[in-house]
Amino acid sequence: MLELLNLHKRYGNIAALDGCSFRVRRGELLGFLGPNGAGKTTAMRSIFGLVRPDDGQVHWDGAVITPAIRLRFGYMPEQRGLYPRMRILDQLTYFGRLHAMDKATAERRALEWLERLGVSERRDGRLEELSHGNQQRIQLAAALLHDPDLLVLDEPFAGLDPLGVEAMSDILAERAVAGAAVVFSSHQLDLVEDLCEDVVVINEGRIVLDGPVRELRARSPHRYLDVEIAGATIDWATQIPGAEVVTVGDGRARLRLDDTADLGAIVALAERAGAVRQFSFEPPNLSEVFREAVQR
Amino acid sequence: MKTSTSLLLVAVRDFKERVTSRAFQLSTGLIVLLVVGIIVAPTFLHGVGATHWTIGTVDQVDPGLAGQVRAAAQIGDLTVDTTSYADLASAKIALEGEDVDIVAAPDGIFVGSSTDPTLTALVQASLTSNAALDRATGYGLTAADLADLLRASPVTTVGKTDTTDTSNRGFAFAATVFLFISIVTYGQWILIGVIEEKTNRVVEVVLGAVRPHTLLAGKILGIGALGLAQLIVVGGIALAGLRLQNAFTVPTATPAILVAVVVWFVLGFAFFATAYAAAGSLVSRQEEAQNAAFPLTILLMIGYFVASFSLTGENTILRVASLLPPFAPMTMPLRMATGDAAVWEITLSLALMVAAIYLLVRLAGKIYSGGLLRSGAKMKLRDAWRAAEV
Repeated sequence: MLELLNLHKRYGNIAALDGCSFRVRRGELLGFLGPNGAGKTTAMRSIFGLVRPDDGQVHWDGAVITPAIRLRFGYMPEQRGLYPRMRILDQLTYFGRLHAMDKATAERRALEWLERLGVSERRDGRLEELSHGNQQRIQLAAALLHDPDLLVLDEPFAGLDPLGVEAMSDILAERAVAGAAVVFSSHQLDLVEDLCEDVVVINEGRIVLDGPVRELRARSPHRYLDVEIAGATIDWATQIPGAEVVTVGDGRARLRLDDTADLGAIVALAERAGAVRQFSFEPPNLSEVFREAVQR
Repeated sequence: MKTSTSLLLVAVRDFKERVTSRAFQLSTGLIVLLVVGIIVAPTFLHGVGATHWTIGTVDQVDPGLAGQVRAAAQIGDLTVDTTSYADLASAKIALEGEDVDIVAAPDGIFVGSSTDPTLTALVQASLTSNAALDRATGYGLTAADLADLLRASPVTTVGKTDTTDTSNRGFAFAATVFLFISIVTYGQWILIGVIEEKTNRVVEVVLGAVRPHTLLAGKILGIGALGLAQLIVVGGIALAGLRLQNAFTVPTATPAILVAVVVWFVLGFAFFATAYAAAGSLVSRQEEAQNAAFPLTILLMIGYFVASFSLTGENTILRVASLLPPFAPMTMPLRMATGDAAVWEITLSLALMVAAIYLLVRLAGKIYSGGLLRSGAKMKLRDAWRAAEV
């Protein structure tokens, strides 16, 4: 289990981490969310000793992380980087060996991953000759090659086409099922909602939400109402106490209700406005939970 | 995993990446061509290293002339021929056509524009002494009397033989130039390599598995080994070429100088490569590389200039510089080659150098690990120092 314990890190006057704490269990696929500049990358770097926190600790299985333990981690940084002029297979083998694999095993695993990611025919090419998407695949392979116990990925979905997103999702889920602790950051919240049971949300260096997505949604003080009324304008909904129109268009409206809203009164108003085709009452989705958490 | 294993992995990667790069292969090829060119060119211009003189004679002037000239010349690899001509006119034509180097005739000695003055003097002296011998009998003197009359003062060389000293000095200076160029060149490779890893961010992935000190040491080892290999290849080709041609008498101290050059290359490279790596870690763009390296290049140049201005002999600045770590790699080999450095000076200089490398590795290693992960504007040394992990 990975634990970030009360991490603090200041750069000049800016607190990048301000008491950041969360944990990732083995077998868990955790979405790590936060607006730009919230401290996600700093927190991830601190796991790899790339940032030295001013205060707080990072533990793996209850102990401080040593370089030897870190060899069992895999990291895909936000700003991708490998050796541009090195041949793909050589490069992956090199990273495998840096993670204490012997040469033959490293090479075999590299070939397997190249095959799996559909780039095996490029194994003798140089990295700089590959497209952006393919470079990203190699970067992923470099992080996965040694079957890490902990996999940390900073924005792994950025810049991927829909097929790439699907392949990446499958691989991350599979690693978690295989028993690795997997944590990744992303701004694609729909994707995170589909993929992860648990998320943490960081804002201004502090964790503001932490838990299963379902619970976080249920815990929100707001409920959302999707209403579709044939031929009606939005006028019927603009004056309801405790309700706020979030989106509107094409006969549909999405309202955000707080606990003062009278659901019965709203139903009556909707029926008066026209023929109701859809009326669904839901907790917020992850994007809305996220927005509520970071907008104050 | 042992540190030494990852260190070796890093070193081998850095070595391989450069040795397989087209740029490296081209530059090595060019240097070899240049060196071979410098060695071979004089052969084409002046013929093979051995000296060959042809004396044109008219009327069978002094049949023993060629032998006398050769005996008097005291030049190692010398052949002297004579070609006789029926008359002076045809001998002069041969001289103009450079078929002969000089013409000795009853009317006197004729030389061309390219005649070696030594040859002129030797022919003149031989003819003069032969003529004197002829006339001496007219004065009733025997050959022995004449030899007594003409007895020259003996010449004795005192102290170190000057030729050896000069060629040692020349060789040592060539070595200094060689050291300067190679330390600057391979230092730049380190600088560029560090900035490259930083700009393309691969360093974040690498540092997940390797500690900064190990990465630094591996890089220096790999690139240093490559530099040394290139040095040995180029130096070997140069020496072999010179040997084959017999173009120079190999100075007596050569093996010692070669050892000194290698030792000082290794020490000088270790010192400056570490410093170049630290400098590289402070900047994020290749454009800033030269700015970052400027102070180091200045240090190297000071050492180089002290050495080149001291070619005429020992001076206090050279003596002091040869003891101080940043300048010793450029200056001490010169003093060792000329035999001017005392054993205690060499020992002190080596000890100070090793101590300085140790301190610098600790110091620069910390700056390096602090600077590596920062991007953006050039970092201050102090900030890098504080940012260092461990």
